Amino acid sequence: MEEQPIVPTVAVATAATTDRKFRGFREEHRFLLLIIGTIIIAITLVIVSLVIYNVSGSAQLDLSRPGYTSVSNKVDRSTETTDYSSFGAVNKTTVKEFTTLYDERAKKAKAVDAFNGDPLNPEILEFGDPTTSAEQ
Amino acid sequence: MTAVLLSAFHFYNASAADLTDEQLARISANCLTIKSSLNQLHASDALLRVNRGQIYESMGTKLMDSFNSRLGSNSLDNKGLTAVTDSYQTALTTFRNDYRTYEQQLAATIRIDCSTQPASFHDSLENARTKREKVHTDVLRLHQYIDDYRSTVNDFMLNFDRVTGSN
Repeated sequence: MEEQPIVPTVAVATAATTDRKFRGFREEHRFLLLIIGTIIIAITLVIVSLVIYNVSGSAQLDLSRPGYTSVSNKVDRSTETTDYSSFGAVNKTTVKEFTTLYDERAKKAKAVDAFNGDPLNPEILEFGDPTTSAEQ
Repeated sequence: MTAVLLSAFHFYNASAADLTDEQLARISANCLTIKSSLNQLHASDALLRVNRGQIYESMGTKLMDSFNSRLGSNSLDNKGLTAVTDSYQTALTTFRNDYRTYEQQLAATIRIDCSTQPASFHDSLENARTKREKVHTDVLRLHQYIDDYRSTVNDFMLNFDRVTGSN
């Protein structure tokens, strides 16, 4: 026959009382705990989504942010999204169709030499060294 | 490790030493005007990023990928075109990342109070300037891949004509 572990009777009684008190508290404040839990989950989700928004680069494409309102209506919405079908025959005509579409889009893509120039040059921002600019 | 720290320290000193007292005073005095110019540039670059980005994305997904798939589904050799497309997509990812880094640096520069911290403002501005140059290099690389893809299509056509015997 197996030996039964000796558990002090007082300790068991204290644990049972604590458990009863906790359950009592939980039952009594169920609604409050629900509200607190909901708020914690909402805050966590907001933090996670903001981190994703900043890390993924979406923030840089969001022109509705403060400071971008002056340019938000200048987004080019005329860019046609004509797809070239991934399926179908390949012959002179279909390749010609593709090259026409490609050339047109390539011309648009290369029309602007984006981010050229040096607008962050101290000389342009008018706080460069005057002696240097005089020498140039 | 020590060499890296020393070179970083040297760079910091060199960039701070480049500024004369007169320049520092001019930054502090023209702080508002400079910040206004930076804010305008910040907004116009964001617009440029959105408009250019749309075109670069559609070139890759709606034209290059589609044409490669069509050749593949017809069991035609598309290795050369796929290689250029992969390089283009990599360059596009680099462009996106470099622009994000540049934008964050420019935003950080704008947040610095140049009337009280002209030296750190200048350092931050130089950093943003370098990052903007990198974005421009990425744009030129994308343009180069767009041309490369077109010449690879021409090569494909020459080969295709030769194999099928059409004129």
